[in-house]
Amino acid sequence: MSAPPDAQLLPRLLAGDQLAFRELVASYQSAMRAVAYAIVGSRNADEVVQDAWLAVVRNLAGFQGRSSLKTWLLTITANTAKTRLKHNRREVLLDDIPSPHGSIDDSRFAEDGHWLLAPHNWHQDSPEALLTEDELRECLEKTLASLSDLQGSVLNLRERQGLELEEICNLLDISLSNARVLSHRARLKVFATLEHFEETGHC
Amino acid sequence: MLTCKELVAHSSDFLDGQLRLRSRIAVRLHLASCTNCRRFIRQMRLTRAVMRDLPEAPIPDLDSLAQRLAELQQKGE
Repeated sequence: MSAPPDAQLLPRLLAGDQLAFRELVASYQSAMRAVAYAIVGSRNADEVVQDAWLAVVRNLAGFQGRSSLKTWLLTITANTAKTRLKHNRREVLLDDIPSPHGSIDDSRFAEDGHWLLAPHNWHQDSPEALLTEDELRECLEKTLASLSDLQGSVLNLRERQGLELEEICNLLDISLSNARVLSHRARLKVFATLEHFEETGHC
Repeated sequence: MLTCKELVAHSSDFLDGQLRLRSRIAVRLHLASCTNCRRFIRQMRLTRAVMRDLPEAPIPDLDSLAQRLAELQQKGE
């Protein structure tokens, strides 16, 4: 997904150009949904995103360009979600939900900390080659869907939307150490799914 | 000396540039002598690349939403 440059998009948005809004939504709505998911959960996320879009249009004329459009959109989304969440202080759940193919956990190591079951070589060594397999793509989506709302969102924002950990912390009001733990655990689960698929050829 | 288990625990921080110098050196020293962990880190990088490139589901109401937002903008909402 390559987003058009802000400077090119902004005048067209201000003029009410429908194609420009189409590019804006296509480029950033997934990231906005991930932010909303993390804060209000899956049930209310879509409504929050809708409300955020309305707030975006209301405030577009006042956008100063001090941050990127992306950061601005995500901040509006986070604020909309937090307003929605009346009792603002939620607990950050670090409890791990089991994932379809597990994780890289203690069972992989001997008592002395050496690998007991070390990773094998994979058949493919490029993302393009791996992702040609429809079944693997579906399998990965299943694993991603098994993550908690917050864990899945942190991973999505970090890997798919390319946000820095610090940005994620600011948007979601979580500590850096929590963000690190959440994204690390999520990555290991995705790793385990890829490994399982590479070893067995199916999900 | 870092164990393999500890290396795995530090792996995301290593890849995200979140380790302090001392831990970063410990990770690099371990990697220099451990084939299994080198492979693990390579596969972690690949895992990240796969997630980055995983196609996203299309937005179902993209055109109608874009139309609605453009109209609101034109009305000077």
